[in-house]
This record gives sequence, C-alpha cells and structure tokens, in this order.
Amino acid sequence: MSDAIRFEDIDVGHELPALRLTLTNEQVKQYALIARMPGGRFMSDEDARKEGLPGQIVPGNMSLALFSRLIGQALPGAALTRLSATFRGLVRPAHALVVHGVVTEKHCTDHGDLLECDLVLESADGDRWVTGTASVRLPARR
Amino acid sequence: MALDFDRSIIGSEFDRTVLEPVREEDIRAYVAASGESSPAGDPQVAPPTFVVRIRGRRFMPENMPNLGRMGFDAGKDIDFGAPIRVGDVLTAVSTVHDIYEKTGRSGSMAFLVLRTVVTNQRDEQVAVIDQKMMFR
Repeated sequence: MSDAIRFEDIDVGHELPALRLTLTNEQVKQYALIARMPGGRFMSDEDARKEGLPGQIVPGNMSLALFSRLIGQALPGAALTRLSATFRGLVRPAHALVVHGVVTEKHCTDHGDLLECDLVLESADGDRWVTGTASVRLPARR
Repeated sequence: MALDFDRSIIGSEFDRTVLEPVREEDIRAYVAASGESSPAGDPQVAPPTFVVRIRGRRFMPENMPNLGRMGFDAGKDIDFGAPIRVGDVLTAVSTVHDIYEKTGRSGSMAFLVLRTVVTNQRDEQVAVIDQKMMFR
C-alpha cells in the first residue's frame, strides 16, 4: 500500500489528527440495530427517558468503532491488535465530539513492530467521556 | 461490605454459540453504520470492531450472584487475532472471567468481567473480548 505509514515514521508523542464529528440520532439508532444492540436507550430520546436516562445515548461499542476509525485514518496500513476503552460518561448524539490520540510507546516484538496509543473521546468543551488505549502493528521499512 | 458469592462461578462457561456464516452484506452494513473501513479496503474482510456484534444465546450466567441494584457498561478490552472474512463460521464461548469490588469516593462498587473468546472454523482465535460491567 503506497500511502501506508511505516513504523520508523512515527515517534513517541506523535499526535493522531483528531476526528471531529456530531452523531445524529438516526446514525446512533442505525449503528445499534446493525450491531445487534436494540435497547431502547440507543433507539430514541423517548425510549431512553423511559429507562431513566436524559435521552438517547451512543453505545459503548460505537465509541470503540470511533477509536478504530481514528486509528485507521491517522495510521493507514496499520493493523489494530488490541483496543481498550473505559466508559466514563454518557456519550450523546447531537453533541460535538472530538476523538484524538497520541503515541505513547514503540516496541519491536516477535509479533511485529507495535505502537501503543492513548485515546480520548471528549466533548468540544474537553469533558472526557471515553478513554482508551490501542496497540497497533505497523509495517517497517527494513 | 465485602462481596459474598460462590467463587466457583469464576472461570465457568455459560454460553457457547456457533453463529451463522458471515455475509458480505453484514460487513457492508457494519462499515456504513460505524464509519470504519475494511482492512486494505477489501469488502470481504470485516473492520476490527465488527466482532462486537457477535451475540451468544446467553448474555449472563443463569446462576449470576446479586451484585447490586443497577448495572452499567464500564468498558471493554478486545485482543484481535485472525481477521473475520466473508463465509467464516464463528464460535463464541463466554465465561465469567472475574468479579471484584472497589471502593471509591461514591462508595462501594462491584465489577463483573465477562470474557468471550471468538474462534473461526479453522480454530484460529479471532478475538478475546472482556466486557466490564459495574454494579452499585
């Protein structure tokens, strides 16, 4: 792949270009249906309020997908080997989201050349709703 | 108050489900809904988090101890193995991986970790998914 980033191109501290987006209520509903998570909290504001929530929420799995999307866009050619997320707050549709990350470690291992990344999904005001880490295998020049 | 439950539940298997073969339309729909891309743009290969849509027949063990009033999805760890391809027949095996207690500023919380190991028809490990639930 010609646009693949190589292991040697990335240093610790490298910031992954942020993904900025606002999910619509319909996008969240569609994701939940496709991901087989048909709970009312993911379907509509009305159904979520019946469960005592302030309104429709984004499934945790969709936040994981946003982390994976960030890695895919920031590090083309990389293979995700591990992804971890801690859900700290309710992620809501119709709210501006910023998904970003930074490379924290580099390792050459028997399983390939790996980057470790810290990941954050936060509000436009900097409220951290999901934090995570990822291990990513990159092709090397050698 | 310390959690009181029969620790023999830890490590116990509570679900083993063989799923229908993965279809290209399933992958295409997941890509459209998640915004993720298939590796190398190959529509025959699922994007990494496609694996989260795998559902066994049972979400919880039948003999689950009472850990608290309300449960929340606290987080998830996924170790990825072989990629998922169109036609793969996946098997998901779920166990109770851990139950533990933590005390924080807001009081005592119980954590339940359910582990699902997903393999394909070649017995290759596709993913190990640890789902953490918090009860208070």
